Amino acid sequence: MSKLIEMENVKKTYKLGDTEVHALQGVNLTISRGEFISIVGPSGSGKSTLMHIIGCLDVPTSGEYHLQQRDVGEMNDDELADIRKELIGFVFQDFYLMPDVSAWYNVSLPMIYNRIPPKARKERAVQLLDNVGLYHRIYHLPNQLSGGERQRVTIARALANNPEIILADEPTGNLDSKIGEEIMKIFYRLHEEGKTVILVTHEHYVADQAERKVHLKDGMIEFEE
Amino acid sequence: MDRGFLAESVRSALEAIKTNKLRSLLTTLGIIIGVTTVIAVISVITGLKQQVASSFSSLGANVLYVQKFPWVMGGGGIDWWKIRQRRDIGMQEVRALKEYGSAFKYVAPQISNRFEVKRGDKKASGVSIDGTTEDFPEIMNQRVKLGRFLSADDIQYRKDVCVLGNDVATTLFPDENPIGKNVRINGRLFTVIGLLEELGEMMGQSMDNVAIIPYTTMSKFTGIRRSITIAVLTEDEEEAREEIRWILRRTRKVKEDEEDDFSINSAGALTKQFNQLTKALFIIMIGIAGISLVVGGIGIMNIMLVSVTERTREIGVRKAIGAKSSEILGQFLLESVMICLVGGVIGVLLGFSLTKLISLAGKIPFGMPIWGILLGFGFSFVTGVFFGFYPARKAAALSPVEALRYE
Repeated sequence: MSKLIEMENVKKTYKLGDTEVHALQGVNLTISRGEFISIVGPSGSGKSTLMHIIGCLDVPTSGEYHLQQRDVGEMNDDELADIRKELIGFVFQDFYLMPDVSAWYNVSLPMIYNRIPPKARKERAVQLLDNVGLYHRIYHLPNQLSGGERQRVTIARALANNPEIILADEPTGNLDSKIGEEIMKIFYRLHEEGKTVILVTHEHYVADQAERKVHLKDGMIEFEE
Repeated sequence: MDRGFLAESVRSALEAIKTNKLRSLLTTLGIIIGVTTVIAVISVITGLKQQVASSFSSLGANVLYVQKFPWVMGGGGIDWWKIRQRRDIGMQEVRALKEYGSAFKYVAPQISNRFEVKRGDKKASGVSIDGTTEDFPEIMNQRVKLGRFLSADDIQYRKDVCVLGNDVATTLFPDENPIGKNVRINGRLFTVIGLLEELGEMMGQSMDNVAIIPYTTMSKFTGIRRSITIAVLTEDEEEAREEIRWILRRTRKVKEDEEDDFSINSAGALTKQFNQLTKALFIIMIGIAGISLVVGGIGIMNIMLVSVTERTREIGVRKAIGAKSSEILGQFLLESVMICLVGGVIGVLLGFSLTKLISLAGKIPFGMPIWGILLGFGFSFVTGVFFGFYPARKAAALSPVEALRYE
């Protein structure tokens, strides 16, 4: 399998007032295309920061990050936006859906930024919602949906531009375990369909379903299993 | 800008306006007031100009009016007391102009008074009685539609004949031909010899509530108590003006170092004065409108900053799913422009209604030029772009991570 993500001695330092916070202190991580990987660790271990950097929402303070053999550190804001648009689909713990538009419109939003024509946009949004079992909910507003349904809309939105990587930050954090398992099934299916799925979580039963587990502690990779 | 993205930005802006209806409305108040002022002022002035232009045209082009008092009191330095001290203008001046003048075609005196005109038990009150000569219709471009106008004989022999304006004729002779019939003007018996064509209104007053009689007859039965008007039809106004000055100064023995003791009035000078007045009014009102647009613009900026803060998370999500900074900038700029344009539309509608009201109440013709409306929209558009830019840039510059973390 070809290498998708290559990180070498990635460090990230924040300034909080006068003190410096070393969120990542030299991470070396390689992820191949099609892997199903989970990143686990206690809060404050730097897993959110790592996810932000993998997702090109943030750039490392030092170290090298290559995504598809391209140096992310060299990219400007617009190129990073293009990467997020085309290569990465985000699934957030708190869903982050637009409250005043329907499920299908939420799913179609990334396609708007990708300049997909309106008709194709809606067709694909409906198809994606159907794939996660929400065909009967396409016209519902987010607040008319249950937590599990909302997370499925978020997953559909993440898939809108057919990205290589699905990046999920505590995707089951706000759901009860039964619903959480259903969501995990979807991720597993996506993995089987060839997507690279990266989960960030602190719940071990979630992390265990991945093929590979990366343990993070104090901004460094403690061990892998 | 892509159409899908534009549509999404419009939708999002409308949503934001809809969610905060009252806030948006209050925000646009400055814009509304500004645009309303611009539209109303432009429209009312346009209407007034139309009216003044049509009114002044009935005063006659190329007609000079020699009078004791000026129509236009502009330029300062005019001593009203001195003007009151001027000697009256009388028939002597008319004769001098007729005798020595070469730069004009017709000269006629106009001695005006207001009397009641009666026929049997019917009466027309407040009729403007003009004593003049046979040349009057040439100067005033007046036509007789029935019968004839005054003749030289009527003037010379001080005949008791009159030509009636349309209003007087219809009041006194509702269903008969007035020619040859008698009427009483201020108690004196006159024979109607002609009817004038209608002239319409000027400054809200009918120009047809008139009766014209020989000036000789007029002076016989009322005397010439007041200063008269001399109407002069010219070919070249400036040349004629100089000649009239020269003749009158000699006739009235004005010393070389003294100012003219008479005034030469014309519609042109009046229009000029009016235009100066409206220009000043324009500048003042545009100033007021400008101030309220700036105040409104600051309001827009304020509310857009609030909106950007409130929607920080949304901005983060949009960036996470692939929105470029320029697209976020465009979205928020569009939102502020749309708020301003909503204000612009309300302003145009209010300005329209206000103008309509003023035109109804003041009997001014309703004139609302397209460019005024465009100016109103243009103003609000520019305000939206100018004052929306800073908040929009702030939104665009947000880091995706910090925006997503924002609580």
